[in-house]
Amino acid sequence: MSPMKTPPTAAETRAALARQAAFAAADAAALDGLLSVRPAEAGPRPEPVWDEATVVNHEVVRERYHRLTLSCGTIAATALAGQFLMITVPPHGGERILLPRPMAIHRRNPERGTIEVIYGVAGRGTTALAAVNPGQRLLVTGPLGRGFEFPSGTRRALMIGRGVGVCAVMGSVEDAAARGIEATLVASGRTRGSLIGSAECAELGARFIPVTDAEGTADLPALGALLRREFAAGPPDVVFVCGAGVLTRLAAELGAEWGVPVQASLEAHMACGLGYCHGCAAPVRTDPAVEGPLVCVDGPVFDAAV
Amino acid sequence: MDPKAGQLSETPRPTTDARRTFFAARPAPVATVDLSVSIGGLRLRNPMMPASGCFGPALGRLIPVDELGAVVTKTVFGVPRGGNPAHRLTEIRAGMVNSVGIPSRGAAGYLAELHPRYAALGPPVIISVGAHRPAGYAPVVRDLGTAGDAFELNVSCPNLDRDGTDIGSDPDAIESAVAAVRLETDKPIIVKLPVLASSIAECAQAAQAAGADAVCVANSIPALPLEAYTRAPAIGNVIGGLSGPSIRPIVLRLVWLAARSVDIPVIACGGIETADDALDYFSVGASAVQVGTASFARPFAMVEIVRTLQQRCADDGVTGIRDLIDLWRAQ
Repeated sequence: MSPMKTPPTAAETRAALARQAAFAAADAAALDGLLSVRPAEAGPRPEPVWDEATVVNHEVVRERYHRLTLSCGTIAATALAGQFLMITVPPHGGERILLPRPMAIHRRNPERGTIEVIYGVAGRGTTALAAVNPGQRLLVTGPLGRGFEFPSGTRRALMIGRGVGVCAVMGSVEDAAARGIEATLVASGRTRGSLIGSAECAELGARFIPVTDAEGTADLPALGALLRREFAAGPPDVVFVCGAGVLTRLAAELGAEWGVPVQASLEAHMACGLGYCHGCAAPVRTDPAVEGPLVCVDGPVFDAAV
Repeated sequence: MDPKAGQLSETPRPTTDARRTFFAARPAPVATVDLSVSIGGLRLRNPMMPASGCFGPALGRLIPVDELGAVVTKTVFGVPRGGNPAHRLTEIRAGMVNSVGIPSRGAAGYLAELHPRYAALGPPVIISVGAHRPAGYAPVVRDLGTAGDAFELNVSCPNLDRDGTDIGSDPDAIESAVAAVRLETDKPIIVKLPVLASSIAECAQAAQAAGADAVCVANSIPALPLEAYTRAPAIGNVIGGLSGPSIRPIVLRLVWLAARSVDIPVIACGGIETADDALDYFSVGASAVQVGTASFARPFAMVEIVRTLQQRCADDGVTGIRDLIDLWRAQ
């Protein structure tokens, strides 16, 4: 369980805010003009439900994340890779959380009827969520949105995740294992201790490539060079990416070099998750006189191309 | 999380979900209870409807939407609108603040793509209509033709004009908008009033004088949410509308003031989450209620409130909500 941490100093807080602001600015600039809505799916999406999901397990993972295992059989049985949930957060310590929080579905276990999500504590909502105990019930709505889809004939796939964004692509690593697709997951983060996905890749038989800011391996030129080297003999048939706009741009550039499609998952502030609140405008260039796509129903997975 | 809490050893695999159970728990009608309400000539089976913008056909798949009195559409403008930049919404301690900017497909787009889906839900469809000037509402209503069972004139969205002024804060503007729409339709007209009217009574009276069949009180409250530490605006439009339980006592006052100033029904809208919240509004003169923000965290909130109201009436052996309130007031 998480050790007691000393509160950050003012200088540390300012540094963190500056880092976040720089990340957000780079993210927006990198995504500009990159994304488009994916063509219509071949079949219908699974019907979303809401459920009173029992918390089966809730534990701290790696240095800074929480893994929540929920028993909700319908969603576990129907969720597609890359889909998400809306989780209604119970009150905690006098705090009421009004809006449900969107969370990517990290793992699906239809036999046990469970799903996993992984999140980092970032604000009021996730702080309250972190206080939930096993045995409690959480109201969840899902599965929601447009997930990742392997193009037909895919034999080799590359998944790239930054931070907790690894969770959004993990469902496609599961699908790859089930279909005999050779999967490589690149997990990018600040330090080795923060990376998610190593154990999952070992379990699913996927290759795991950790890259970090601390080692310089997560820097874009270094990562681009590494991936060009790794796939020199034969590129992947598709690239799935989540967690950072700059990584999405790198993936799109590599996709253009390799001549393969790239799909990127986004996150956004949402209230409903179903499309009716229109709260999650996607960063897709459209005619300003007409409403553009929404992350929740037109995504969260979009096509990315330079 | 309690550090002592471990993994639950045996959790049986769930074979159903709470949504399915909720649908199956539809209560039988109670012959002695009548929750119906009339808005102009439109009879609703009960006084529950969603707040405009907080409902769509997609929610109809998650709840037994035919248990609602009516459905209300997202506001339809005459021509398509794009909506505001991200972030369109945020949550602060006081509630939710949104400035979605009312993206709309326009009247023609609504008729072609959305209306059939609303109409298929079952309950009467109240079409929310928006415009940027008082004369703008009637042409939209005309363009909507025979679609819909009633119109709700959104004269109060605080998000559209950056200086924050609303058509609905000016009784003369309300009167001219409603009078023009009255010439276009015989269907019920509801006027959705803003929170910041100089006099909610004068605005409600203006709506009534011009031929409105009901007023809806109120809308979200203009607000400016900031990020922690940096004090940067938390939403793309800088200002937005505050909603949620914190605005309930503010709107209760407005409903009380409106209800005593007009004879037409007052529909209350502001922070309702439970049947007791709804009864608060009924007790100060509301005839019907709208639920918005509560549906996001609890999609079934509206249906749960209707079921609870019916059960309370049945348990107390009274016919309807008015009698229920009188019974408890007499204690």
